[in-house]
Amino acid sequence: MAETISNISLSGVTKRYGDVTALDGVSLVLEGNEYVSLLGPSGSGKTSLLRAIAGFEAPDAGKVTVFGRDVTHLAPHKRGIGFVFQNFALFPHLSVYDNVAFGLANADSPPPADEIRRRVTDMVRLVGLTGLEERGVGQISGGQRQRVALARTLVTEPRLILLDEPLGALDANLRMRMRDELRHIRERLGVTFLHVTGSETEALAMGDRVVVLDRGRVAQFAAPDVILNSPANPNVARFLNRYNVLSGALRGEAFASAYGDLPYGKRVESGDAAYGIRYDRIAVVEETAPASGVGIPVTFVTSEYLGSAVMYFFEAADGHILEVEHHLGKGRMPEFRPRGKYRLQWKPEDAIVFG
Amino acid sequence: MAEQIETAETTRNRTAYWLIAPGAVWMALFLAVPILMIVYVSFWTQTTFKIEPILTIASWKQFFSSETYIGSLFTTVRLWLIVLAATFVLGYPTALFVGLFVKSKTLSTVLLVICVIPFWTSFLIRVLAWRPMLGKEGAINILLQKAGLISAPIEALLFSELSVVIGMTQIYVVFMVGPIAFMLSRIDRNIIEAARDLGASFWRIFFKIILPLSLPGVIVGAIFVSVMVLGEFATTAALSGRKVNLLGNIIVTQVGSLKWALASVVGVILTIIMGLVIAGFLRVVDLKKEL
Repeated sequence: MAETISNISLSGVTKRYGDVTALDGVSLVLEGNEYVSLLGPSGSGKTSLLRAIAGFEAPDAGKVTVFGRDVTHLAPHKRGIGFVFQNFALFPHLSVYDNVAFGLANADSPPPADEIRRRVTDMVRLVGLTGLEERGVGQISGGQRQRVALARTLVTEPRLILLDEPLGALDANLRMRMRDELRHIRERLGVTFLHVTGSETEALAMGDRVVVLDRGRVAQFAAPDVILNSPANPNVARFLNRYNVLSGALRGEAFASAYGDLPYGKRVESGDAAYGIRYDRIAVVEETAPASGVGIPVTFVTSEYLGSAVMYFFEAADGHILEVEHHLGKGRMPEFRPRGKYRLQWKPEDAIVFG
Repeated sequence: MAEQIETAETTRNRTAYWLIAPGAVWMALFLAVPILMIVYVSFWTQTTFKIEPILTIASWKQFFSSETYIGSLFTTVRLWLIVLAATFVLGYPTALFVGLFVKSKTLSTVLLVICVIPFWTSFLIRVLAWRPMLGKEGAINILLQKAGLISAPIEALLFSELSVVIGMTQIYVVFMVGPIAFMLSRIDRNIIEAARDLGASFWRIFFKIILPLSLPGVIVGAIFVSVMVLGEFATTAALSGRKVNLLGNIIVTQVGSLKWALASVVGVILTIIMGLVIAGFLRVVDLKKEL
């Protein structure tokens, strides 16, 4: 892992809480000026990693360098890293303006008053809060509070901003708008954002690159399309919520599963054996239809309408639920008989085998 | 539909009035009426052995022309300010520790209960227990002499204004600790981390974030302590050797010699002082907004 003055590097960062290993030798290199999302299920160590980078907790082992400077044992505010808290953590007794100005006004050697005023006013304009400066932070909406939290950090000019589930406290509508907004603000400032989220959709949509964390280790670090098309292991495939993951064992040219030997197209080296097929690469045919490609018999359970697509849920002979996604752009919504017998079919080249 | 809702609401309101009724009746009978009575009696005519409802300002004149009474008015205010300051200086750090620095909720509850343990014995015992502590041959003097820090016992420890201040501070400090610790425990820890991340030093964070956010607790604590100290008479009686006379002590003495009119005058003055003090504190912080 190369540490340079233009990147943020973590090498072998380890953190234990008693018997629990929250971070298990995490190594990562983030470039300057990129948007990285950090995806993982709860308990995967996302927040611990963020807190270790920010300096709220010292790692038990490993090294953190920020733009060529070893900050492993430095206090949080000396690292040049900004932190946006999940619940925003605004100062409830201060106005929007005073919240944004806090970092500048209370620095060890604060800049002159007119410079503070200029920088705060500029930042308030950048995040679109002009006119609300004198409001209390209890008198503004959730989205506006999110902007205050961002502006408060950005005004101190950090080059790396850590965002801990920044959209988690917003309602769905606002979340979509703020996604755009966050990307825009970052692009205008040319800083690095590390955005922690538990939502795979958010991670894939926001990040120039995505880190997938699994049980305190980096499972995969790649561009969103790479992660989606070739997940590094069965767990990553599961988090993505786009794959049916079947268990079994790899035997040469086929994968031995509970539904017989399944042929596959691509193999990914991994410790755990599994067979993955994307929800949207499966065709549903009558049980009696002529077989083609790979297929397993199933019973229809239920469907869920998502607007642009429909999710169908089928039960295999052993009770395992398989999901099929039908994009409505591909044609009208097919109807299936309740508890009807069908066969799920796909091309072997669409399937990934781990093992 | 609208009518139904209105009916339901009216019923709820009527129930609410019934809930407040016993309290309201109690307060009217035993607080509002007696206060008006005290004001009335303060204008009655007092002779040596009897009191008559003939209106006069003689008792008021007597109070304001007596150096002793005016003196005790100032003593009351002075002692109140000293005890208030002492409970704040002693109580705030304690509350800071219990409410903010102790991370475990269980431990902080245990610590608060420990603060309240002295209340398991009676007020008088707690006050009188200071005598063997502070006396000429008391525990503190013996310890200091044994340690070789002093050659002769410090007599000013007991039966002085100092002993009254010590006694009152010990008894009332917990009323300062409680509300402050409560407000501190409600501060979101992330706010403090955010301030730290933005580069503010410990003292900056304390003065700009922690102190302002705990101010409502300080005000509530100050109101508790003020109301109790201003009405005090027992601690002074037990620990001052009759050298310190508060307005409360004068009321006790006057009532003891059946001088109801003068006692009422002092009562009215004390009530006015307390009213002003509480109103003053409430102007500092909008408690409605904070709690």
